[in-house]
Amino acid sequence: MKYVILVKQVPDTTRIKVDENGNLIRQGVPSILDPYCEYALDMVCRIRKPEDSVIVVSMGPPQAKESIFRCLELGANEAYLLSDKAFAGADVFATSRTLTAFIRKFAADYDLIFCGKQAADGDTAEVPAETAAMLNVQQFCYSENIIISDTIKVTQNYNDEIRVCTVPKGSVLSVSIGDINRRVPSISDHIKALNIEIKTLDRIALGLGMYSVGIKGSKTKIESSYSPRYEHSGKIIDGTDPSEAAKLLIKEVL
Amino acid sequence: MGCESCSGGSCDRDKTGLPPGMLSEYNLNQSPAEGSLVWIEVINDGNTIMMNDSSKEILGKLQEISDGRIFGVIFGDTELKVLYGEIFSYGVDTLYHIKDKKMIQFQPEVYCEMLVDLCNRVMPAVVLMGATPRGRELAPRLAASLGTGLTADCTELKMDGRFLQMTRPAFGGNIIATISCDHFPQMATVRPGTFPMPEPMIGREGTVIYRQYYGSNYKNIISSERIISVDYDITRAKILISLGNGIKEKESVAVAESIAKKLGGMVSCSRALVERGWFPQSRQVGQSGNNVFPDIYMAFGISGSIQHKAGIGPAKRVIAVNIDPEAPIHEIADISVIGNADSILKEMNKLL
Repeated sequence: MKYVILVKQVPDTTRIKVDENGNLIRQGVPSILDPYCEYALDMVCRIRKPEDSVIVVSMGPPQAKESIFRCLELGANEAYLLSDKAFAGADVFATSRTLTAFIRKFAADYDLIFCGKQAADGDTAEVPAETAAMLNVQQFCYSENIIISDTIKVTQNYNDEIRVCTVPKGSVLSVSIGDINRRVPSISDHIKALNIEIKTLDRIALGLGMYSVGIKGSKTKIESSYSPRYEHSGKIIDGTDPSEAAKLLIKEVL
Repeated sequence: MGCESCSGGSCDRDKTGLPPGMLSEYNLNQSPAEGSLVWIEVINDGNTIMMNDSSKEILGKLQEISDGRIFGVIFGDTELKVLYGEIFSYGVDTLYHIKDKKMIQFQPEVYCEMLVDLCNRVMPAVVLMGATPRGRELAPRLAASLGTGLTADCTELKMDGRFLQMTRPAFGGNIIATISCDHFPQMATVRPGTFPMPEPMIGREGTVIYRQYYGSNYKNIISSERIISVDYDITRAKILISLGNGIKEKESVAVAESIAKKLGGMVSCSRALVERGWFPQSRQVGQSGNNVFPDIYMAFGISGSIQHKAGIGPAKRVIAVNIDPEAPIHEIADISVIGNADSILKEMNKLL
């Protein structure tokens, strides 16, 4: 089996702060491998057989190699970074097109594609389904469990429905939950990862035109953006005596 | 300049071969797209069949901002006939009913194929659906198939003629961006609960058009099981007792449930407690969980990460109980109680 995992490096959104003018402070915010991507990779590493190949691919700036390296530590055995100045500013459509071009050209004989449910920075959850549509294959979002025997079966959770489907080869799956007790890479994993080369591919290598990628290949445009500010009237109550505080709270609620 | 068939550049024919000025005079280079198409999600658990609330909210918003035709699409068999009247009462002019028994279950690939076919037929300027789990799966597939852009999870929509301005939060709610799309149809999914529920116009009529699917791109669904009852929906609660990482005793969950019952509210939580396994994800408030719209939001032991605050932005009053006076939740709280969340919960339960 040959698995392809689409991963993304994201700023750690839990550590982003806003300054008093409402602007994002990006400096000093660490970049991490998106947690959902890690869940997806973990799922693949649990079901893979030793002879299976696990390819991770990410589109991003050269710094995204850090996250790809983490994927190698976690068990991937081949890694690609799609990086080009022209890729900057891509919306979901341009991103999916770039990833699709990679899959068609460098991993056309894959068996399954895995993605995280959504990325922590954009929260759009669009890339899996767009890529599936562009490859003209079936999609299985919100996957929680996968069983591979002679057929592949996946459990999907739609919040109000749990369904089990058979997955044809070539499908795209998006993974929504991870194992909290998942494996942490060891020193030997780290050393193994150091020996694997992360191949960088640019626009030309993928055979894409200027107007298929990045901001020029995007269908949507950001018109304006701002940081929201929340208002508060800020009455402070001392709660060292729980019963007093509870009385006051009840008065406020009723 | 010029049609490039002569080198002098003295002729003023343009590349289209049309007489000069025709293109702009008759707007021939304009797309004829107009009107809006909405996928109406149907909840069908075998006993009751009803329209999803988020579809109603979208239809209500569309009537407010758009003057074009509204097309609706439903997938399913004859059992959906009971819904026609209701769908028209929320403002749909023309309803496409894709009839097939196999369509009762959500089939993203087949739904998408049929929607592509419909979009080519009716040429809507806008395609909208709810940002429900199914809408969020179907919309991107459709956008990629149509070669158009998609803005997910919108919290505000504005229309200028047939051009749509879509507003959505990003970076965990740190940024609110307004996005436009330069292709027709302009597509968006709308976050459930963002727009008010419209009043139905009882007795309003419209046209139903049946269509059928002849392909065979169906998924093989082995089993499907409904899990939660629809009535515990924290996005509809008026009072929310919300628990976070500062809650140390598991007993407090039961205490909070009891308080919520006495006050006529519901219990929700932050991401930390979902990860602890104390609550299902459907109870989670925040960017990666649910947006909530209560009159009173009581945060017990919630520190208030930006993602969490983004989810309670629309709450009318926020009451925060937290032992840490520096916790960011106090920045947005109307009343801040600096104290132990577990014991205050217990005392409140005793007093009520």
